[in-house]
Amino acid sequence: MNQDALVWCLVAAVAVAVAAALVLNRRNKAIAAKKAQVEATLTQKLSETEGQLAGLWGELQQHKTQHAETIQEAEEAAEESTKAVLKGSARFLQSLAAEQLALLEEIQRKYGGHAVLGDLLEVNHANAQMARKAQGIAVMCGAPLGRRNKAASVYDVVRSAQGQIRNFRRVEIMQQTGFALKASAVSPVALAVAELLDNAASFSQQGSPIEVTFQRVQKNLCIVIDDAGVGMNDEDRQKASALLSGDHRPRLSQLGNQPKFGFPVIGLLAQQYGFRVDVTGISRYGGVRAVVLLPEELWTEEEITPAETPQLSTIHSAPARPESVARTAHGLPRRGARQVPIASVPDHDDTAAPPAAASEETGRAAGRSLGAFQRGTLSGRNLASAPFEGSDDT
Amino acid sequence: MKDEPEQDLELTSPLVPLFVITNGRALPPDHAYERTTLVSAHEGASAAARTISPEARQVLDLVMDGFLSVAEVAAHTHLPLGIVRILLAELEESGLVIARKPVPRAERVDRELLNAVLDGLKARFGA
Repeated sequence: MNQDALVWCLVAAVAVAVAAALVLNRRNKAIAAKKAQVEATLTQKLSETEGQLAGLWGELQQHKTQHAETIQEAEEAAEESTKAVLKGSARFLQSLAAEQLALLEEIQRKYGGHAVLGDLLEVNHANAQMARKAQGIAVMCGAPLGRRNKAASVYDVVRSAQGQIRNFRRVEIMQQTGFALKASAVSPVALAVAELLDNAASFSQQGSPIEVTFQRVQKNLCIVIDDAGVGMNDEDRQKASALLSGDHRPRLSQLGNQPKFGFPVIGLLAQQYGFRVDVTGISRYGGVRAVVLLPEELWTEEEITPAETPQLSTIHSAPARPESVARTAHGLPRRGARQVPIASVPDHDDTAAPPAAASEETGRAAGRSLGAFQRGTLSGRNLASAPFEGSDDT
Repeated sequence: MKDEPEQDLELTSPLVPLFVITNGRALPPDHAYERTTLVSAHEGASAAARTISPEARQVLDLVMDGFLSVAEVAAHTHLPLGIVRILLAELEESGLVIARKPVPRAERVDRELLNAVLDGLKARFGA
């Protein structure tokens, strides 16, 4: 009996368990189905959102590129307008500096005998440096360079450049050559050499020499500038080469607070006028060796006599100046009463061979004027307070 | 800025400024190289002078054969007197030229002082 009861109990428990399992199973199935459904909707939503995201990303990129373009355009516009403003000012300064240089030269000649000449020379030096800066800015802004209409010896072109830097006494030009630069090349080469000399002077010790030599290498004429500075490292050299070739043109706004336009200016000039500049060499003092390479289109092999000093030959060949009268046996110029004056200063515009009589007359006039000049000097000295005596143009 | 056609700027000042010709030397003192001072080249100066500027060379050539006054050198070279004086100072320093100073003028006596003395004498002794 007891066994039966146990069996029945077991059966009942199994039945309950089976029923429970059935119920659970059905529930599980329902849950799984729901889960799948939810998963499907979620995936769908995810992919939709991903699509939206991709679209937005694309838009963002587009905006970004547009933004960059706009900034670049704005920068270029700003650069252009800055250049335009600066160009106008630079041209103004340029022409004023040039005018002032011409004026100063005139004044220096006018007061050549006066002590004020010493100060005038210094003013001229300061002005020459200002003119160089103005020219540099003008070149950076794309304005044309002031031009010269006469060919000049390369020696004088370098001397002109020498006068445009502060410590010009340090520059030693080693040899005089028979090479002349064509008129169109005079200004740009002078400015480029001036910038190189300035660089050489700023990056070497005070008082160390800066040597300029000339070399003819095949069809090129080289102006070689050696300094005794510290030299450049490889990075500096690469940067310099890029600037000097004119390929890399920095913006005005990139030049910074203490703008260095030396190399950019040289690069622009070199590209414009067809010469080359290299600063990768090492000078014999261990500093930088800068070489300006001028192709044969820019120079000739003729002798140029400086324009401001007329040829001596016209003085010596003046027909109305026989040596026997002009000088004593000891080679001294003879003074006193004479038919022909010894010092006949030829006029600037004297043509090659003036007629003998006329030149004798001009000679006498010159003699008289010299006499008057001497009397003037003497009477000037007799006055208690010496008047302003420097105004005679000698 | 006005957009006018760009005119070429022509540089009319001499290419080589005067202060470069003198290499930045200061003017010699007033009493040195007066207008009437006579200068002449030293013997053998031409050969010794290799590294001088063309302008200094021109001055040297002028005084090569004898004495010439400073004023005349300036006139011949068309350089301002002061520049010639600086060049001459440079040349003399390197022993290339010699300068002969003009004869110093006799000391002048103060005319007013003499008159005063004369007046005094007249007053003292009568005349």
